[in-house]
Amino acid sequence: MNSTALKARRQYVALAILSPLAIFLLWTFVTMQGAVPPTILPSPGAVATSFLDMIQRGYSGVGIWTHIGASLWRVGIAFVAGSVLGISLGLLRGRVPAIDALFIVPSELVRPIPPLGLIPLFILWFGIGELSKILLIFLSVFLIMMVNAQAGSRSCALDALRAAQSMGASRWQTFRFVVLPSAFPQIRTGLRISMGTALTILVASELLGGDRGLGFVILDASSFFRTTYVFAGIILIGLIGLISDRGIAYLARRIVHWEGKS
Amino acid sequence: MNTGARVLSIVPDKTVGLAADETGASAAVKPMLKFERVGFEYDRRSIMSNVSFAIRPGELVALLGPSGCGKTTILNLVAGFLQPTEGVAFIDNREIAGPGPDRGVVFQAAALFNWMTVADNISFSLRCAGRPKAERQQVAEEMAALVGLSGFENSYPYQLSGGMRQRVGLARVLAAKPKVMLMDEPFSALDVQTREVLQEEVLRIRERTGCTILFVTHSIDEAVFLGDRIFLLTDLKDGSFDEFAVDLPSPRDTGENRLHPSFIRLREMIYRKMRH
Repeated sequence: MNSTALKARRQYVALAILSPLAIFLLWTFVTMQGAVPPTILPSPGAVATSFLDMIQRGYSGVGIWTHIGASLWRVGIAFVAGSVLGISLGLLRGRVPAIDALFIVPSELVRPIPPLGLIPLFILWFGIGELSKILLIFLSVFLIMMVNAQAGSRSCALDALRAAQSMGASRWQTFRFVVLPSAFPQIRTGLRISMGTALTILVASELLGGDRGLGFVILDASSFFRTTYVFAGIILIGLIGLISDRGIAYLARRIVHWEGKS
Repeated sequence: MNTGARVLSIVPDKTVGLAADETGASAAVKPMLKFERVGFEYDRRSIMSNVSFAIRPGELVALLGPSGCGKTTILNLVAGFLQPTEGVAFIDNREIAGPGPDRGVVFQAAALFNWMTVADNISFSLRCAGRPKAERQQVAEEMAALVGLSGFENSYPYQLSGGMRQRVGLARVLAAKPKVMLMDEPFSALDVQTREVLQEEVLRIRERTGCTILFVTHSIDEAVFLGDRIFLLTDLKDGSFDEFAVDLPSPRDTGENRLHPSFIRLREMIYRKMRH
């Protein structure tokens, strides 16, 4: 990295830190004034105390890592399954008109339905256990990934397809070496969006009952007006979202190294 | 120059298959490319009709004309990207049915695979043919050397200049050892110096490989400098076009030819014909 790029990078990091710092200061200032009751907006100090307490002693008799683990497992399995299936079907729909025709009506009927609206139905069908929670997250990831992969599979330049064909590429080779890499940038964006959505649905899906998970912690704390614990749980989920998003973006930059350079 | 603007496509020392073999003179050399009354319609609109010509092995024919004259359509028909709506197009006496590695295409915007290294781009046709990695590596190095890209095998296309990208485009076509090279205004986006160097490169490569080349261009200079024959296309709807034979001293790949009296004369003749 040359010195100009390094300087730009430093400035980027400084600005990226500046905005959460500003929010934190504003938060501290507002709560110090005592204008807002602590049950509505607790002070950063009180939240920090609850946060540490939660880390050390867990929540409602269960270790915090068990809560985090339960949530990560639900999100993880639904995210992986939803991505794999959504990307596969999306790519197929993008390349094979017959498959697209088969799926277009059902998928476009389901897609506008808010996943939360499906909760009562999922309880009826799959009960209130793990299956309902995972399927709800899976469905939203799947639909986002399908749309993105399909659009990605069509972003390939005509000349690149023709070049491959005139060098003797079969249908499969054209797909594997030209169509698929062309779709990567859009698939990457889909992964970032669907990870965010998956965490949103996670909290809602943990409404379905059970006594494990960060969503459960937040909901349980809020029903007992333990607002500091609500905040601690929210911050944990936020951190998971931030870390996973940066992770996906970091990996993608290495895989999609050519993006924006031609 | 004492004749009119029209020059017959007869090169004195060679037997040439004339348009659609109607002369019967093709007995000596079988044409590499042949169009027989080819027509093409798009959206029920006729782009060309009744186009016939024959190109012998090793010949370089420049298709010259303004945008929209149908020169790229001819190239796409030969490449197999488009199918004629009437008539038949042949390569080496076989009807053209679709794209294939016997016809390599160099695109205007290179159309390289940015996710692959230069070496992988060059050896793509071998990968498709299931050749082993060692052979691919070797051919990539050979072809990179042939087009003057040694040392860039592990770079990515986006790290190269426009001229170097077109060199990769040339190399990957050469690696497939095609019978015919189809070049679609490959140098039109490059600066003049780079363009001229690459034009000379094309002639050098042609000399070495004996490849038949169809070169689409809108530049008179480029057509005259490169071509053995020039097809001047203006409107292909009735299948007619003007044909010029280029008479420049060998070796052709020298910039000196751009100053040769024949070059200047032919350029003027084509210019007047185009303006006519």
